[in-house]
Amino acid sequence: MRLSYRIAYVFLRNLYSYKRFIVPTFLVSLVEPLFYLITFGVGMGAYMGAFGGKPYLHFLVPGVLVSAVMMSASFECLYGTFIKIVHEKVYDSLVATPVSADEAVAGDIVWASFRGLVSGSLMMAVALAMGVAPASPFRLLLLLAFMVFMGILFGSMAMIVTSVAPSFDFFSYYTELVITPMLFFSGVFFPLERFPGWMKTLAEFLPLTHAVRISRAVFTGEPAAGLGWSLAGLAVLAAVVFTVSIRMMRKRLIK
Amino acid sequence: MAPLVTASGLTKKYGDLVAVAGIDFEIREGECFGFLGPNGAGKTTTVRMIHCVSPVTSGTLTVGGLPAGIGNRALKKMTGVIPQEINLDNDLTVQENLVIFARFFDIGRKEARARIEELLRFVELEAKAASKISELSTGMKRRLLIARALINRPRLIVADEPTTGLDPQARHLIWQRLRQLKTQGATLILTTQYMEEAQQLCDRIVVMYQGKILKEGVPGRLVEEEIGREVVEVRIPQEDDEKLLGQLSSFACAHERVGDTLYFYCRDGHPLMRKLVELDLPNYLNRPATLEDVFLKLTGRSLHE
Repeated sequence: MRLSYRIAYVFLRNLYSYKRFIVPTFLVSLVEPLFYLITFGVGMGAYMGAFGGKPYLHFLVPGVLVSAVMMSASFECLYGTFIKIVHEKVYDSLVATPVSADEAVAGDIVWASFRGLVSGSLMMAVALAMGVAPASPFRLLLLLAFMVFMGILFGSMAMIVTSVAPSFDFFSYYTELVITPMLFFSGVFFPLERFPGWMKTLAEFLPLTHAVRISRAVFTGEPAAGLGWSLAGLAVLAAVVFTVSIRMMRKRLIK
Repeated sequence: MAPLVTASGLTKKYGDLVAVAGIDFEIREGECFGFLGPNGAGKTTTVRMIHCVSPVTSGTLTVGGLPAGIGNRALKKMTGVIPQEINLDNDLTVQENLVIFARFFDIGRKEARARIEELLRFVELEAKAASKISELSTGMKRRLLIARALINRPRLIVADEPTTGLDPQARHLIWQRLRQLKTQGATLILTTQYMEEAQQLCDRIVVMYQGKILKEGVPGRLVEEEIGREVVEVRIPQEDDEKLLGQLSSFACAHERVGDTLYFYCRDGHPLMRKLVELDLPNYLNRPATLEDVFLKLTGRSLHE
């Protein structure tokens, strides 16, 4: 892989272009968490009693935080990158400069991670305003760092899909068959304990399950079993999908 | 002088499709070298290999003594590319397009600012610095592509059909700028299907067809060698060819029938014209031979589809 400090230039290019979309994207990033937290957290939570001694909202927030990062980073590397390749031809002009195709792709993944961090942070701000806070300020920082890492992971996964996508329609397979189910099978909205055995096993293969587990433990400060394994698994997966995504995109971009 | 670009047996394949079929050429430092050919001849593929965005399948290709290749940042740093397709960054303004490109080339902020001001003046877009790309005309976009290609003060400039889709004014402005760059010492590689463009700009050209080089030479001399000085066109029905050719057998002109026209390629067309006047044919003309005649003779006058 040909990666260097030039990744920052690609990030900078995206930041320049972001200026034009910043207001609408901030609005969307704020409305979405309000929708989740109010409907599920407050509305549904009213019928659910206490979750481990706390209101349901406290159970919900750590999971929704990482899913917001997942959604945001995924969409950026699906639609955002696809537009840049096919419609705007940004990559064509990039690869003719000293910036390599690998750096262009890596720069877009880092950018997607940043977008994920923005969404996650806005979600966190809403949660804080609703009185749901991490156990300590240090844990808040830890969560933000974890969001950056999750952005890289889910951005890279989406980038693999984009590398083989013939058109926009193709993305529906990924969003409807992977992203949406993951949202419901990963313990974001309810604990996995009451799932039948095979579903529990299935859930263990979903990266979001582990991300939610880590996020919840960091948020509440209550240790959970197998956290180390979850983190190690995600780290290995992130390294693999990042490498694969760059190789596959290289095949698409260089002919 | 040592050549800046040397290709030998240069080949590019996409699967089974051979886009460039083992060509050899040399481009000298400081000259303007043109690749001429119809669509799909392999011109763009060839220049894409030269400026290191497309890998070479086989053969050798060196630029400035270095092997051309995807990872060759040193070559990309000394090359400016004016692409065929307008791939300006639509999310950014005119100024921002250049600022970001300057970053890509590791040019410092202060130097970039001065350079951008100078370049916008060079392509006459000073007034448009803050405009969105969508507010520019095609001619302005093409000029901005030139400015963008020059941000790194390139030693080698690759212009891939730089005037496609432009009106005559815009085209002439771009030709002037390209000639100006050449006098400043840059080496220029041009691909085009416009013969006039090649004649206006190129010191040497190659005519490409189906991935091969058919002919190489200086534009003016190529015309003389291949065609002669003048062309006489006679529009008569094909049935009358035999009779007319019999009447004209004493003239030393090669002839060719294409569609509704009989072409005569002559050193001097005047005697032939006098005879045609005498024969009182309805439709004929005499004109100087051009590169277009060479091109059509070499690649055939029928459509390439």
